[in-house]
Amino acid sequence: MSDEDVQARLAALRVQYAERLGNDLQTLMAQARELAARQRAIEPQALETLRLGLHRIAGSAGTFGLPALGQEAREMELWVQTVLETAVAPTAPMLSALSDRLCDSYRLLTDAQTPAQAESRTGDAESAEERPVRVGVMSLDASEALEQALSGFGYACRRLAAPNEWREWQPDVAVIDTASLSAASWQACTAAVPGARRILLSADGGFDARLQAVRDGADGFFTHPVDVPTLERRLRHLINMPQQDPYRVLIVDDDTELAEHFRLTLKVAGIESRVIEHPRDVLRGLREFVPDLVLIDINMPGCSGPELARLIRFDDDWLRIPLIYLSAESDAQRQAQALAQAGDDFLVKPISDVALTAAVTARAQRSRQLSQALARDGLTGLIKHPAIKELIEIEQSRTQRSGAEACVVMIDIDRFKTINDTYGHGTGDYVIRLLANLLRQRLRRVDHIGRYGGEEFVAVLPACSLDNAREAIERIRESFAQLECVAGQAVFHATFSAGVASTLDWTDAGALLEAADRAMYDAKQGGRNQVRVARNVTPQT
Amino acid sequence: MQALHRVLHVEDDPSIQEVARIALEVVGGMQVASCDNGQAALGKAAEWQPDLILLDVMMPGIDGPTTLARLREQETTREIPVIFMTAKVQANEIEHYRSIGGLDVVIKPFDPMTLASQLREIWERMDER
Repeated sequence: MSDEDVQARLAALRVQYAERLGNDLQTLMAQARELAARQRAIEPQALETLRLGLHRIAGSAGTFGLPALGQEAREMELWVQTVLETAVAPTAPMLSALSDRLCDSYRLLTDAQTPAQAESRTGDAESAEERPVRVGVMSLDASEALEQALSGFGYACRRLAAPNEWREWQPDVAVIDTASLSAASWQACTAAVPGARRILLSADGGFDARLQAVRDGADGFFTHPVDVPTLERRLRHLINMPQQDPYRVLIVDDDTELAEHFRLTLKVAGIESRVIEHPRDVLRGLREFVPDLVLIDINMPGCSGPELARLIRFDDDWLRIPLIYLSAESDAQRQAQALAQAGDDFLVKPISDVALTAAVTARAQRSRQLSQALARDGLTGLIKHPAIKELIEIEQSRTQRSGAEACVVMIDIDRFKTINDTYGHGTGDYVIRLLANLLRQRLRRVDHIGRYGGEEFVAVLPACSLDNAREAIERIRESFAQLECVAGQAVFHATFSAGVASTLDWTDAGALLEAADRAMYDAKQGGRNQVRVARNVTPQT
Repeated sequence: MQALHRVLHVEDDPSIQEVARIALEVVGGMQVASCDNGQAALGKAAEWQPDLILLDVMMPGIDGPTTLARLREQETTREIPVIFMTAKVQANEIEHYRSIGGLDVVIKPFDPMTLASQLREIWERMDER
């Protein structure tokens, strides 16, 4: 066999592998997401399953030409391993951070599979991930203010007028002020960017205006004067909306032919599903496949659909998953009885492919949004407070084991009370989100950022020296101070003070956090808007 | 010196199994048998008598180190050299696998074009000892 033949065979294997890896990553993401949504302690076994999955990828991806992905998997594996070894119970936010990282890996894989596409989407060598979200603004009089305010949130924002400008820049979101423009003029522009989400601004907030916006394909609707923080929240929501990975559906039906038909129908719509023929396999199916939704046939031998639904509901872990009956049952009375027992909805067979797909997509989407909302801070989307402390413990034990330095940063917005008192709480929230966004953009993917208290943030920077941490935060401090905060007609600047401490200097998580806090307090005392480093005069041995 | 010819590869990941087969058979001109778990490897090794066993460390069921211990207990497989294959987690682990009787350790991910020569090198070093 010639060298070329070998290469060809290896290339074919790579394609096969990538396909399987995609499935494996999806399963891991679903597992992490499910664990994150649990409201009670997580048994080590569940984590061990995750670790094994990651280990496998860490060991194989490089062989199949995906070294970056292998490296990512390795880091995540180490993270899970550390969690297992330190016996710190992982909290939901930690796990959703892991799930996010798995999503990134999945994107890495899909980008690797379709390099041409990825390139044309970004228009340059930058990866899709690093490119800031582009917001095009079109308005006669409000453009400048909007551009400024949204740029402050870290969006790439541009005022665009003619259709060719829109076509050239290809924004992700179009913000259109319909109050100051003729329908024909703005519609010509949105037609140039059919993929962009649409937010329409209007002078009139009445029902008819809203209905018109719906008919104009709006994804968001605001009336003048526009509340920028709310607009930004909507933007964030819209951008996060496109799904990273396909929805997952578990189909429980003893009619295997029909179930297979459903599976294929959903597959065509990009929804992954697994068929379970025997009701008694359902718990295993839930654990292994971790669906966003379960479709249950109502008439099955040995265990009826409603019985099975009740059985699933015994377990708190699956409370958030919609259970949908799928049945030829068209008698309303009996449907109501079934729903009274357990289960969330009914789909009547025969059902058209379109109706099935639509019903499943809508419910799966809700289900997933709900799980994500459970683990994160509502205002900033950052990790909630209790989880951060545990993350610090993990980094600390990692330092003790491998000697790798990690840093903890405490950040507090200066004179926050004055901002609230002067401009109102809405503006205060806006400043918090502004800083949250900035931290998210500027820190590395491996860093953890949490909201610690009202206006206080904590960042945990693994594998980072004290000097590098200080420099990174210093740069963020400078950028933040330069951002213009908009509150109605007023424009002001906010600043923060920060304290940095290293795991090399403090071996106890509480002490480390306190040290960072003290350094932050020193920064406040020293005049605010600065970064201080905590030095341990008598390093512990 | 006897050349390295017959390799038993024990690995639960089918993709890795296949790529290693190409790497050793096609690129390296060796004869390869594969098992996807430690238990099966015990039987296959006794029956097929390979020159060398390439043994994955982490497998469901009995893991690599346990498989090695069992191979050493069996009369017919006691002398067969074993090279561990592992997705390295830490440097001291490699030392550990050598200390429990592994001839050497091959790190995953491996390059399919050089895996065979890597095994041969280890094989020849063993003969020199």
